[in-house]
Amino acid sequence: MSMNSENRNAENKYVACPQYEAALEDQLQGTLRGPEASMLAEHLVTCAGCRAALEDAAVSARLLAIAEPSADPGAGFSRIVMARIRQELVSSESKSIWLPVVSVAWRFAASAAFVLVLLLSFDLGRHSQFVSDQSVIAENRLPEIVPERPSLPTNRDDVLLMMADTSHGKQ
Amino acid sequence: MAATASALSLPVSRREKGEEERQLVQRAQSGEEAAFEELIRRHQQRVFGLVSGILRRREDVEDVVQQVFLKVFVSLKRFDQRAAFSTWLYKISVNECWDYLRKKKVRPLVYEADLSEEQVSRLDGVVSADQPAASSSDRAEARDLLERMMEKLPAQDRELLVLKEVEGFSVQELAEILDLNVNTVKVRLFRARARLMDVYRRRLHSKPEQQAEGKEG
Repeated sequence: MSMNSENRNAENKYVACPQYEAALEDQLQGTLRGPEASMLAEHLVTCAGCRAALEDAAVSARLLAIAEPSADPGAGFSRIVMARIRQELVSSESKSIWLPVVSVAWRFAASAAFVLVLLLSFDLGRHSQFVSDQSVIAENRLPEIVPERPSLPTNRDDVLLMMADTSHGKQ
Repeated sequence: MAATASALSLPVSRREKGEEERQLVQRAQSGEEAAFEELIRRHQQRVFGLVSGILRRREDVEDVVQQVFLKVFVSLKRFDQRAAFSTWLYKISVNECWDYLRKKKVRPLVYEADLSEEQVSRLDGVVSADQPAASSSDRAEARDLLERMMEKLPAQDRELLVLKEVEGFSVQELAEILDLNVNTVKVRLFRARARLMDVYRRRLHSKPEQQAEGKEG
């Protein structure tokens, strides 16, 4: 039990002991009974902070008693709510009629997109295959298109052989 | 329907009332619209109190309350009656209010104008325990001033004070609705009262000094 008689905060204001706040609220509501009530009563004799806080709480209750509770919305309110519920149900039902159609349309669109992607990738694959085939052919044909340059004769026999070839070609 | 309404107005014990409500909920769950309408009638005022206690804007309250009952209707079949129907309904109401405030990004009402000395003394008179009963016009003005002071409090404090002291929810009910421990609710309430009194004192007792300082300057 706190025996703090000068329970003040930084602003030099009396404050309640934290361990007694719930009991003080009960005391204010008139619901504190038994040993807890006598314990709080004992504490209040010695704790100025809790006494001041309890007095403040009582003033706050008087202050809040000025306020009026919200008015009853009236007998017609339940009818308004029921009408809105029916309206919402009708609109959600009409939405649910179109729901299967919308779902099928989305599935169709997704399938079409998938097929398109497949076709494109297949076409790209074919194109790259064709390009590589062409380059292979080009490499293989190169010797046929560009004739080999004859190597220069290195000795007299080579010169004679060349001359014999040339004369054969002319004939 | 009229027969049901007259039967409901009879004084019955709390237990019988609870059982009657369970049956009403079951009938509503099986699709009986009249039963659901009766549930609305029974709870509409408290839901109104709860929603207006949180939103504090009368123009939004009716729309949010309608939305609450619509949600309750839609999800009623999933309600297993382990908790009281009222607790479940109030929880939905609180969530709907918070959703609404989040979506709308509603800024708290701010009253810029301060209180005049005359208003200060009137409010003091209404609150003072030893003063005779204030006139209805004084009380109306005091209500307006209280509203202004409440706007200076954090939203959580304001909600608790209004729901407890104005709309009449018990500490137990608040604990269930807000998913808090009963003792936590008591402590928060007590601290909220202290903060309200801080605002009240600053408004009441610093005003004349400020005015005097202003005149000297």
